[in-house]
Amino acid sequence: MKKTEINSILKVFVTDLLFWTYFFGCVYYLIHHWSGLILNTVIVVIAGFSFTIIFSALGISIGRTVHLPTEKTKLKWYKTFWAWSFIAILFLTLMVGWNMVGVNPYKFFTKFGNARGIMTGLFNPNIDIIGICLSALAETIYLALLATLFAIPFAFVLSFFAARNLMPKTLLGNTVYLVIRTIATLFRSIEAIVWAIIFSVWVGIGPFAGMLALMVHSIAALTKLYSEQLENIDDGPVEAITATGASTLQVWIFAIIPQIISPYLAFTIYRWDINVRMATIVGFVGGGGIGLLLLQQQQLLRWQNVGLIIWMIAAVVWIMDMTSAKVREKLLEK
Amino acid sequence: MKNVIEINDLHKFYDKGSHALKGINLNVGEGEFCILLGLSGSGKSTLLRCLNKLIDSTSGEIRICDEDVIKASGKTLRFIRRQIGMIFQQFNLIKNLTVLTNVLSGKLGFVSLVHSVTFSYHQADIEAAMENLKRVGLEKFAFKKVKNLSGGQQQRVAIARALMQNPSVILADEPVASLDPATADNVMKYLGELNKKDNITVICSLHFLSLARKYGSRVVALKDGVVVFEGKPCEIDEKKFKEIYGEEAEEVEIR
Ligand SMILES: Nc1ncnc2c1ncn2[C@@H]1O[C@H](COP(=O)(O)OP(=O)(O)O)[C@@H](O)[C@H]1O
Ligand SMILES: [Mg+2]
Repeated sequence: MKKTEINSILKVFVTDLLFWTYFFGCVYYLIHHWSGLILNTVIVVIAGFSFTIIFSALGISIGRTVHLPTEKTKLKWYKTFWAWSFIAILFLTLMVGWNMVGVNPYKFFTKFGNARGIMTGLFNPNIDIIGICLSALAETIYLALLATLFAIPFAFVLSFFAARNLMPKTLLGNTVYLVIRTIATLFRSIEAIVWAIIFSVWVGIGPFAGMLALMVHSIAALTKLYSEQLENIDDGPVEAITATGASTLQVWIFAIIPQIISPYLAFTIYRWDINVRMATIVGFVGGGGIGLLLLQQQQLLRWQNVGLIIWMIAAVVWIMDMTSAKVREKLLEK
Repeated sequence: MKNVIEINDLHKFYDKGSHALKGINLNVGEGEFCILLGLSGSGKSTLLRCLNKLIDSTSGEIRICDEDVIKASGKTLRFIRRQIGMIFQQFNLIKNLTVLTNVLSGKLGFVSLVHSVTFSYHQADIEAAMENLKRVGLEKFAFKKVKNLSGGQQQRVAIARALMQNPSVILADEPVASLDPATADNVMKYLGELNKKDNITVICSLHFLSLARKYGSRVVALKDGVVVFEGKPCEIDEKKFKEIYGEEAEEVEIR
């Protein structure tokens, strides 16, 4: 009883403190931005803290509205503190964001001329470089394909250990599950582009670095997708095959794999599709293929070449998207 | 008559603390067709799953064909399970595989891992599988995918799978609960035949007294994890029925 009371008081206090500190943080940023005034940032915290105390004493608190059950009030919305603080915060956030990002509609509407080069290039692509372009594209597609294929065995094996329902509920089982899940989540949250930077230093700029980057990312992503599929399987066949006296490995092979094989294939094809797209981006930071070619031509300001490259990337992505959607549909229909 | 199954003072606690079996004592003799009655939640599924250690019992003793089930593990456990066929309410077949592959999976306890990984079954096993499919009248469906079969047909495939084990015991957990009455009787007929012709001991949970009377040689009724009745099917009258199923229950006849 006592503990929950302290808990909710704490929650209300922290919410109020965050609210007021954010409020003054925004105000501080705007003052600084417009007047160039440099004040000690501690002021923000002090102001937030004081207002929390003062307003709670007056009985006005956002935290209380959020965390504690409130009696129905007959007040119109525009008479509540809650509504006005929401509007104020929204307004402040927009102001701060607008200034921070440097939103400038004037530039947008008047400086179109700067993009004339690339626009002309897009509508007059240079067909002469189609040979180089195709070979770079092939590099990208093969890179994505190998990254996907090499990721499959790793993800396949790992997914069994990352499926809650398959891991025994022992200390070892739980540890293995947690470690694999955590690493997979961590690796997945590191973008392929970051992996590409790492590997382009490691093995040198080129498609191999790109492949390694996409492979690491694919292993992590497929492990998660695969293991979620495993967690959704029907337990019935597992029970039935176990009851025949089959060993654990036989149960996995006969009761589990037949249930997951088509979704696994569908996910994998989808992954290849994503990898082709990512391979282009990864090329930009040293992963080779069409991305690298695009970067080079853009730096040389050869807009007509850039135009052709963009059209070809679009075509490949579009074809991959269509076919992978078709194949997945076929695989997933029960 | 020799006892095939001996259960002494069996208790089962689930993790969340529910006491599902409260000291079950039960012997089942060779060739008996034992019907388990009882409301949902009375512990029928739990009891059946303790018998082949699909779930661990908390305390007590289970002997099947003179083997200690509760202590068994590894190879011994697999050897015990091999002798016990099991049939489920939801059939528990692998739906996107063929009927024949499903039936063959009943032999997994007998073949080596290498054999099963390469899916290279002995010719004799395939012949046995076809033979068992013929027994349940489905030899024409051998190469069809299970998902294209009706409920009653799927349950017969499950029976054929159990037969692949040459079991001495068959455990059936509400095998007809998701079938219509006519199909239900048809499936029970196959179980009855195995019991009579092959002398397989059957324990089968059911909800229909009429089916219990028709096929059962003995009835055991559970209520809240306790055996509340044990006797011949014909001994269950109105009063006994209400004791098992509660005052409001009316007997539903199916013929
Ligand atoms: N996995 C489980 N975890 C916790 N309690 C369970 C579990 N399975 C069954 N029980 C409980 O055990 C009791 C017996 O259930 P069950 O054996 O399924 O009965 P029946 O098959 O007769 O319907 C019920 O009270 C049920 O809630
Ligand atoms: Mg049940």
